Amino acid sequence: MQPTDRFTALFGRSVALAQVRRAAFVDGMRSFTPALIATAPWALVTGVATVRMLLHLGRALAMTSFVFAGSAQLAALPLITAGAPVWVILLTATIVNLRFVIFSAGLQPYFRHLSLGRRLLLGYLISDFGYLLALRRWGSAVQRKPASTEQIWFFFGMSFANWVTWQTMSIIGILMADRIPPSWGMEFIGVLALITLVVPSLTDAPSIVGVLVAAAVAVFARGLPLKLSVLAAVLAGVAAAIGTEVARERRGRSS
Amino acid sequence: MSDLTFALVIAGLTVVTLVTRSSFLILGDRFSLPERIRHGLRYAPACALAALILPQLVLADQALNVSLLNPRLDAAVIAIIAMRATGNMLAAMCAGMAAFVLLRAVL
Repeated sequence: MQPTDRFTALFGRSVALAQVRRAAFVDGMRSFTPALIATAPWALVTGVATVRMLLHLGRALAMTSFVFAGSAQLAALPLITAGAPVWVILLTATIVNLRFVIFSAGLQPYFRHLSLGRRLLLGYLISDFGYLLALRRWGSAVQRKPASTEQIWFFFGMSFANWVTWQTMSIIGILMADRIPPSWGMEFIGVLALITLVVPSLTDAPSIVGVLVAAAVAVFARGLPLKLSVLAAVLAGVAAAIGTEVARERRGRSS
Repeated sequence: MSDLTFALVIAGLTVVTLVTRSSFLILGDRFSLPERIRHGLRYAPACALAALILPQLVLADQALNVSLLNPRLDAAVIAIIAMRATGNMLAAMCAGMAAFVLLRAVL
């Protein structure tokens, strides 16, 4: 088999299309590298927690492989250990995952023209960082029209890099749980990585107001059950950002 | 929990992950949000990350700690300044981590 045939088999019907897709896919993987510094420690910590709670290697590996959702997984673990009813576990995970419903709403205009199978695959792979980096690159120029082939494969490349890193680090965490001391300061490296990912997004007043409001709400609403504080924070932050936009437009019109 | 129940839970969690993340994508062309909200949703991921970050800075020791004597908060501020100044992620993380280690020893 010629190398070009192999590309075509992997990436598309014609050589030209395969090259476009492959270039975008690789570009996506490369662009995602900084976010991996944040993903890796978080996945490791999740893997360690999973096997410590389940006390069963096979079950921990099964959970990590299928349930691709760090915070929902961490919320479900104590319930599984306690033998809570299945519906309680699933309801909890659903509520913890609600912030992804907001992300899917944000990405829907880009992906709405794809087949159901592709929409499900791209949806399953959505991550906070993937969404952040995709919109930073695309800006709001394509807001009205569906994403191009390059954009879709760029997103897929980012998601793929994220998925591979998440799974690898989770599995390492599960297998090495005994050898990883709990107080490695790993979490703080993850927090710093998150900060450096957010800072470049703070380019105008609405985004700065949104982020400050979201952060404050997350702290003040910390008493809410089921990580609802994160959902409340996102809703409040987005509302504050939109409010700031509207206020700026009004001021712009009157002056 | 029996193996069967556990398998059921894993299957259920997989479906939950897929359905929440793909929710609006499943609707496809049949639905569209008002322009203003759709536009505003691009602020969502930064807000979500901020909501994950701040509690880890000020609530790390259970009680709320918003003061100059909180090494995590100081280190975060230094990382933000370093990121603004250099635009380099690695440099900002090193500055933040160095500040954290130093301040935790001093404070």
